[in-house]
Amino acid sequence: MDAVKIVDSRGSACPGPITDLAKAYRNSKVGDVFELWATDKGVKPDAEAWAKKTGNEILEAREDPDKIVIKIKINKR
Amino acid sequence: MSKLSIVVFSGTTDKLLSVGVLSQAAAAMGTEVRLFVTFWGLLSFTKGEKKMMLPKEFESMGPALMEGLKREKVSSWYDMIKEAKEFGAKVYACSMACGVMNIKKSDLDPIVDEMVGAATFLQQAEDGQMLFI
Repeated sequence: MDAVKIVDSRGSACPGPITDLAKAYRNSKVGDVFELWATDKGVKPDAEAWAKKTGNEILEAREDPDKIVIKIKINKR
Repeated sequence: MSKLSIVVFSGTTDKLLSVGVLSQAAAAMGTEVRLFVTFWGLLSFTKGEKKMMLPKEFESMGPALMEGLKREKVSSWYDMIKEAKEFGAKVYACSMACGVMNIKKSDLDPIVDEMVGAATFLQQAEDGQMLFI
């Protein structure tokens, strides 16, 4: 399995993180796993909405002291 | 594929920010985005510097708004539309309103793809979501 790819969107306001995720998604393949790092407070529901819309999967969503981390698995290209 | 079409009627920065956020977010989610810029909206889609413009009743809040946008690192509405365009969003200028306001194709900002009529926009927007901002 390939290493987890980090998408660092810290400091970026909505809709920046989802946009960064969508850009990473463009060059992805099925089975890729991304970790989206963000500080925007809406990123968890937004990433869930994005995954639902694009047919991908949230593996984990957690709040670190300095950032929110969303782990996304690419199931659909 | 889902579609979002926005009639951009207002030319003030507050409303254009909404246009920018929704366009960029929708485009990032794989939605087809189309903007139809008309009337006062056109004043912000001509070439040249994009100045902050607020409706009269909120004018006094301009500096606080500017500060908040800067602090939260919110992109400009123009940059958000540019991001949306990177995902394929289209920006159309209303041909009739351009005529009324004496705006020629060469006056329009390069962010505008084409000058079209209402029928073109409505036909392309068919069976999608439509907003009037």
